[in-house]
Amino acid sequence: MSETSSATRSSSEAAPFGSPVGRRLRYRPRLVLEIRESMPAWQQFVILALSVLCGAAISTAILVWAGVPASELLSEFVNTVVDEQSIRAVLTQAAPLILVGIAASVAFQARFWNLGIEGQMVFGSIAATAVSLWHVGPESLRLLLMACAAVLGGLIWSVIPALLKLWLSVNEIIVTLLLNYVATYFLYDLLYGVWKDPTDGFPHSQVYASGERLPDIAWSINAALPVSLALMLVVVWLTQISRFGVYLRFIHANVAMAMRVGVPVVTTTFGAVFLSGSLAGVAGFVVSSGMEGRLSQGFFEGYGFSGVLIAFLARNNSLVAPLVAVLVAMLFVTGQTLQIFYQIPFSMVQLIQAIIVMCVAATEFFIRHRINLRG
Amino acid sequence: MAAVELSGICKSFGGFLALDHATFSAQRGEVHALLGENGAGKSSLMNVLAGFYAPDAGSIIINGNTCRLAGPRDAAALGIGMIHQHFKLVKAFTVAENILLANPRNGYREAQAAIRREIRAKSEALSFVIDPDRRVDTLSVAEQQRVEILKALVGGADILILDEPTAVLTEQESESLLSNIRDLAVAGAAVILVTHKLQDVKAFSHRVTVMRGGRTVNTLDPLKTSTEQLTTLTVGENVEIPSRIFHERGGPRLIVSHLKHRANAARVTLDDVTFTVHAGEIYGIAGVGGNGQTELLEALCGGLVVEHGRIEITGDVADKPSDITKASPRQRLAAGFASIPADRHAHALASSLSIADNFAIGHIHEGRFGSWARVDRHAIWRATNAAIHNADVRGVRSLSQRASLLSGGNAQKLVLAREFSRFPRILVTHSPTRGLDAKATAAVQRWLIEARNEGVAVVLVSEDLDEVLGTADRIGVLVRGRIVAEFAAPADRQAVGKAMVNHV
Amino acid sequence: MADFLVNWISSIPGLALPYALASIGLIIGERAGVLSLGAEGLMLVGALVGVGTVLRINDPTLGLLAAMLASSMVSVLFACLVVFLRVNQVIAGLSLVFFCQGLTNLVGTMLDWSNRTIPGLGLLPLGSLGALPVIGPIFFRHDALVYLLVPIILFVQWLLTRTTFGLRLRAVGENPDAADSVGINVSLYRFFAVVGGSALIGLAGAYLSVVSAKIWVAGITGGRGWIAVALVIFARWNPWRALLGALLFGGIEALIPQIAAAGIGLPQYYLLMTPYLATLAVMVWQGLKNDTVSDEPEGLGKPFVREERR
Repeated sequence: MSETSSATRSSSEAAPFGSPVGRRLRYRPRLVLEIRESMPAWQQFVILALSVLCGAAISTAILVWAGVPASELLSEFVNTVVDEQSIRAVLTQAAPLILVGIAASVAFQARFWNLGIEGQMVFGSIAATAVSLWHVGPESLRLLLMACAAVLGGLIWSVIPALLKLWLSVNEIIVTLLLNYVATYFLYDLLYGVWKDPTDGFPHSQVYASGERLPDIAWSINAALPVSLALMLVVVWLTQISRFGVYLRFIHANVAMAMRVGVPVVTTTFGAVFLSGSLAGVAGFVVSSGMEGRLSQGFFEGYGFSGVLIAFLARNNSLVAPLVAVLVAMLFVTGQTLQIFYQIPFSMVQLIQAIIVMCVAATEFFIRHRINLRG
Repeated sequence: MAAVELSGICKSFGGFLALDHATFSAQRGEVHALLGENGAGKSSLMNVLAGFYAPDAGSIIINGNTCRLAGPRDAAALGIGMIHQHFKLVKAFTVAENILLANPRNGYREAQAAIRREIRAKSEALSFVIDPDRRVDTLSVAEQQRVEILKALVGGADILILDEPTAVLTEQESESLLSNIRDLAVAGAAVILVTHKLQDVKAFSHRVTVMRGGRTVNTLDPLKTSTEQLTTLTVGENVEIPSRIFHERGGPRLIVSHLKHRANAARVTLDDVTFTVHAGEIYGIAGVGGNGQTELLEALCGGLVVEHGRIEITGDVADKPSDITKASPRQRLAAGFASIPADRHAHALASSLSIADNFAIGHIHEGRFGSWARVDRHAIWRATNAAIHNADVRGVRSLSQRASLLSGGNAQKLVLAREFSRFPRILVTHSPTRGLDAKATAAVQRWLIEARNEGVAVVLVSEDLDEVLGTADRIGVLVRGRIVAEFAAPADRQAVGKAMVNHV
Repeated sequence: MADFLVNWISSIPGLALPYALASIGLIIGERAGVLSLGAEGLMLVGALVGVGTVLRINDPTLGLLAAMLASSMVSVLFACLVVFLRVNQVIAGLSLVFFCQGLTNLVGTMLDWSNRTIPGLGLLPLGSLGALPVIGPIFFRHDALVYLLVPIILFVQWLLTRTTFGLRLRAVGENPDAADSVGINVSLYRFFAVVGGSALIGLAGAYLSVVSAKIWVAGITGGRGWIAVALVIFARWNPWRALLGALLFGGIEALIPQIAAAGIGLPQYYLLMTPYLATLAVMVWQGLKNDTVSDEPEGLGKPFVREERR
């Protein structure tokens, strides 16, 4: 690699410190990187919005290359807020996204990279389906029991990485990701095996009874949405109003200091991770019971990274997360339309999400640093 | 012709003006001391000279040529070598690899041989023998420092800048180092010694330049200037050093017995530490950094569970001592513990959170600011406001501003305010005045003495011997994880210094 | 029984190779201090481009080379984000994976590269050596890349430990502050370490599609990239230990079809879980060992900024 000057010193054995050989330096202006002290919130918001738009622009370019006319793209996206059918689809889709968004936010706030949201969703749904298939409890309470089971299912799947991190300092990023794969195979084993639908032989469970599905309420919007919003309020209370939220903020800011001042770090972190897993479990239940009506393969796909995206854009704030979740839901619905009409694979949505995250992350640099050219 | 000449150097970081038209010059054949207190700008100025910082304005003239340095490499090419306070060595590499990294030679194999030859040659000038194949993390701090100097010498440096080199050395090692570099100067190098220690300046330098508040105040002959004059120039005003009034101490409050701990199989960090601190006394622990101070503090504050030994606290003489060796930080706080750690932004404050939050966290568990279900923001603001005013914390525009925006002295006052608002019975501090200017230092020392007068048992661990000698009622000397000697105030500096030297 | 063993062991090198190459590619980047979680994505890119090239010009060797080039180019995006823009390395790595997943699915569908078998790279003809009993199939019936694996590792190890370039790269990973103070351009070294290492990761992915399966389908990497990330920690950042780990995982993966072929009736999906469970087991074991002297590069995962006050 080139050095910044073309000097090599000859060994100066003759006199210990003789007069130095005069040397001409190639002069270059110097790029200096400084850390900013702070930036007003509104400025940060503007930069954030611009970066999201930039990401959207790049995605549009890719889609145009893939054969979708730009005008169509715009009209499809606008449709999601104008067309009644689309709005309903967006709101339905928003419910699980809100849940995974706050699930990710809570965990990340405790400095725990919970990338196992999809696996936790799987176990949430499996637990709920077990309640349905085994006819646990009276029918009037069945739906509620399924929801509780989903909470437990997601929670249990989040225990393993939490324990491993806190007892053995095992990095939770890999553990949670690997557990996703394990959960998926466990699901396949059930769906291709004992839980295969006897009526059609396909690898999904038999359909839930009508009392076991989340009903549609006013304006044909599924009950999943108010459920998600209610849970969101609970989480907002926990993270913004209660003492737990203060502890979380300190853990996020400076763990070493938090420990010193007596913040119950271990308890709070466990709590945050379990909460995260439970929310993810409910998200799985919401998708299976509210949207699909049965346990199926692949129902959880795309939610993991969506959660990360929402948490990242909302800066782990559970009050802002639902707004971002709605935007992501609009993206999902648009993606589904593109899939049907233009044969664009649904993983395009993931691509767009990744581009947006990268754009936003890139602009964080300009929020945190200042570049000066020193002459 | 001067070796270096800096004039009109200005440098600011964010809104903070670190250097304000500073000037400096050094000649070959002299040890030129750059004296000033913390925050005066000495390190910043030298970082500019060595190419680490780019100045906002001003000129750098080296050996008569005006230069613009694009980075440390340019400065090194001109013969400038800087030895920082925090060494820039790769710990996992050997001595030879570190020196080779800094001084590239052609070909890998030939380079190994060549660099060893050069290391041997320059070692003689330093009177320092070292096996070039030893890993740096196996060397002592003094040895690592010598390696840093070797690195510069092998690179052909004849303008050496040493930034607070004696901060990490015992008195004996300091003397040895300083006389070595004086020899280097006599042999023709220009040596710049950045320090805040007056005795080093008087004993080893030929000239001294005083800096204060980012400006150069004066350049003098140390032999012709008195200590008082130097102090006044450095500090700028008459700062009252809190005088010690004799205070009757109470019964034992903190009993530390036979603490033993190993970091790993090879390294013993605490080796049978035993001492007792009474209520109403300041027990100072003197010693060069790296002798177990950090581990001892962690053990006291609950961050470390020692392998052997006990830590007990007592209320009154009649009470049975309660064992807190394995207690969590929470439990210790409830028992009346308070701590002021050395690195305030890393361990005492959450820099990105607000001042109000940082104050409130001290009390929130007790329920002083609302219940678990709802935190009372108004109560927090009221209490924080009151605390800020009482503690004279400056620079607070709003309570919701980030704690990182507070300057060193004000941040420390916030920490003190928080810890003291709990009316602790035991206060453990580590280098509480590190990085603070004279006014803030005096304020902090006043707090400690006041606490002691109120009956608090204070443990003051500091690597600044003057601070310990000036403030403590009793002094324990910590060497290699053990209290090897205890002295009562007023202690003889020589005796304490001698005790600090590593026993074989 | 002997047949079972021979069949099993001879299938190990082919399955171990992607793990080995991906780990070594990651090691190069991580020794320079950059934590890369994007291996899964880069492997997908390599896999797709490898197959696509073979479909277009029918030359498997060029396909592999094109794969290396393509994944290096994609990693430039990651490197710019992480090295120059100091983006959080976990977020950037995750985004890279999903970016690559989405992009490869899209391109694979658009260009109709999915689900099309290719002749791929065949075994290296070693004639009568391959016909020997027992050692024949185990050692002499592999494709060229397997035989190149050891030379590649030798080269990487030589580069890291016996050259000035390697010394500087390691310095950047251990103490970027120290490296910067002696004039090493930390950003440039990190950039080239990441991009160079990514070539190997892309090759690992291309091996899966061009040599092993001889087809591209979405998700062909099946999480191997994540396992490779865990392997780097297990290997303590040493290429030879990475090879050992790769052989271990190759062995486990090789066991699955052998068990099925041998007619042993173990539940299929539980068998498929074993590589992931094995990785978890390895990580738990690492955690239990509680190493006090860590081989982890000290500067790993931390962005580097020179002018930081306080």
